[in-house]
Amino acid sequence: MFRPKYYEFCARVKIISGHRALEKIPEILAKLNAKKPLIITDKGVSKAGLIKVVTGAMKGNKSEVKVGFIADNVPPDSSVKIVNELAQVYRKKGCDSIVVVGGGSPMDTAKGVNILVSLGGDDLLNYKGTGAITKKLNPMIAIPTTSGTGSEVTLVAVITDMDRSIKLLFVSYFLLPDVAILDSRMTETLPKFITAATGMDAITHACEAYTCLAKNPLSDSTAFFAIQLISQHLLNVVKNPGDINGRLALSNGAILAGMSFSNSMVGLVHNLGHAIGAVCHVPHGSCMSILLPYGLEYNLHKTSPLTAEMLLPLAGAKVYADTPKKERAEKAIKYIRQMNDDLYVATGGRHARCLNEILDKDNKQMVPRDTLSAIAEVSTLDGAKIYNPEEVTYDDALMVLEYAWEGKPLELSKVKKGGKNYLRQ
Amino acid sequence: MNYNVYPEIKPGKKFFKRIYISIMMWVVGRGIQAAARVDKVVKAEFLKLGDDFSFSLGVVPDGPFMIVGTNKKGKVKYMGWNPEGKQISLKLCIKNIEAAFLVFSFQESTAIAFAHNRFIVDGDLPASLSIVKVLDRVEIYLLPKFFASMAVKRYPKWSELPPLRKYIGRVLIYLRVFTIG
Repeated sequence: MFRPKYYEFCARVKIISGHRALEKIPEILAKLNAKKPLIITDKGVSKAGLIKVVTGAMKGNKSEVKVGFIADNVPPDSSVKIVNELAQVYRKKGCDSIVVVGGGSPMDTAKGVNILVSLGGDDLLNYKGTGAITKKLNPMIAIPTTSGTGSEVTLVAVITDMDRSIKLLFVSYFLLPDVAILDSRMTETLPKFITAATGMDAITHACEAYTCLAKNPLSDSTAFFAIQLISQHLLNVVKNPGDINGRLALSNGAILAGMSFSNSMVGLVHNLGHAIGAVCHVPHGSCMSILLPYGLEYNLHKTSPLTAEMLLPLAGAKVYADTPKKERAEKAIKYIRQMNDDLYVATGGRHARCLNEILDKDNKQMVPRDTLSAIAEVSTLDGAKIYNPEEVTYDDALMVLEYAWEGKPLELSKVKKGGKNYLRQ
Repeated sequence: MNYNVYPEIKPGKKFFKRIYISIMMWVVGRGIQAAARVDKVVKAEFLKLGDDFSFSLGVVPDGPFMIVGTNKKGKVKYMGWNPEGKQISLKLCIKNIEAAFLVFSFQESTAIAFAHNRFIVDGDLPASLSIVKVLDRVEIYLLPKFFASMAVKRYPKWSELPPLRKYIGRVLIYLRVFTIG
C-alpha cells in the first residue's frame, strides 16, 4: 500500500441515506438555525417532479420551513453569470439557507451562490483561487439527483467563465455542504443513459483518486468501496431502472467516490474532460466514461501496481485471483472498456464509447475532430493536470484525445515517460 | 479575555532555513527574469499572461517572498522581495517555512507540494499553472539533471530540449542572474 509521508483528509459532511431520507429536512434546517431556504435546481429536475417531493418532505407536522424561492433556471454548465444572478435572488427574497437539488451543475452553482451570499459581493470572480474563501458559509443541504458527481461531499466547485471559455476551479473546505441527503426517490426516474454516464463519472472519480498524486490511505479505502459498489450495481440498474436498492447503492458509491477525490484530487481524465466540456459543451459524465481507460493507460508506467489493485473491486475476487499479477492492470482497463460496451448496448447506443460517438439532440456530432487541438489548448489551463502522476503537455493531451476520438486503445510506446515516480516510494 | 496578556504566538525563526530560502528565491526570481530572455517556452508563458501580470511566491505570514512581473516596457523583471505596495495579480503562498524548505531543497516537487496542500493560490488558477510551468523550466536550466529530475514530473528529452541549447541557456541564465539580470 502506498503511504504518503504527508496527507490531508476531510469528510465532514453529515450524510443521511435511505429510501425516505428527505423527511429529515425540517429537522436538519432547524438544527442549522434556518427556516427560509432558496431551492436551487434545474429545469430537468423540476419537470421530473422531484422538487414537489422535496417541498412535500419539508411540510412535516411541526415544520417551520418556508421556501424562500425555487430557482430552476440553472443551465447544464454552471456559469459565473447564473451564480451572480441567483445571489441577487437569495438576497431579495430574504433567504437564510440553500437547498440544492440536482446533479453537478446545480451543486456547483449553489456552492458559488453560497460564497457570494455568505462573504458578500456581486461577482464570483473575486473569489477564485484556493485561498480566497476564509470563513464558514451559510447553511446548505445538498440532495443529489444523479449518482455521479459526488459534488455533495466535495470541496470543489467547477464554474464556467463563459467569456474565456474555461472552467474555473473554486476550492475550499468551506464549500462542503452541511448535510447531504441520499434518497432513492431522487434517482429512481433518472433516464438509462444518464444513469450510465453519471455512474461512470463516479467510478472515474474513484479510479483517479486511487491513482493520482494526492492519494492517501483514507481516500484509497473510500475509492476502493466506491468502485466495488458502482461496478456491482451500475449495469443492473441501467437494465432495471426501478431497482431502488441498486439506486441507493449507486448513490452510496458516488458519495464515497466524491469523498475520495475531494481529498486526493483527480488527474488527466478530468483535465481533458473539463476541456471538452468547456469547448464542446459535452455532458461531463460522457467525457469521463470515454476518457477513463485512456487516463489509466497514459499513467500506466507510473501507476501499474495501483491500477492492478483496482481489478479486485472492479471485477470481483474470482477474476482477480484468476488473473496473473502482471496482467491485472491491463485487465482492469479492459474491464472498464467492457463496462462501456455493455452500457452502450443496455442504453440502445446512447452511451458513447468514443468521442466521435457523442451526439446532441439533433444527432449531430458534439466533438468534431477539428476541435481537438482547441480542447488540448484549453486543457493546459485546467488545474487537474497538476495532480496527474505523469506530466501532461499540449502534445500529450492532443495525442490522447486523438485516440479517444477514434476509440482505439492508446499505444503505450507513444507515451513520454520520465522523472521520479512519487507513487512508487 | 485580555489578549495582551497572551500575545500572539509567532512561528519559530528557523534562521538558517529562512536564509537558505531567501537566497534560493533571489536566484530563482532573477533566474526567471533571465530565462524569459533566453528560453522560448518561458517567454511564451509570460506573453500568454499579459502585459500587467505579476506574481509573488513566498512563505506566509512573514516571508521571504519574491516578486516577478512584466514591466511597462513588456519585459519580465524580478521586482524584489517586498510585496508591500505592489499590485500583484497572482499570489502563490507556501503555508510555512518547513514546507517551503521541502520545495526549495528539492525534496518535494511543485506538483507534490500542491498535492500535499502546501500552497495557497490567491488569483487565477490557470495563471498559477503557467507559473508552475515556468518554475519547472527554470529549475531545469539552473539545476543539474539529478536535482531537476526530483523537482519536475518529467525531465525533457533531448528532442524537447537539445543538450547544446540547455547548456548554452544555463550559462546565459547564470551569467544574467549574477550580473545584468
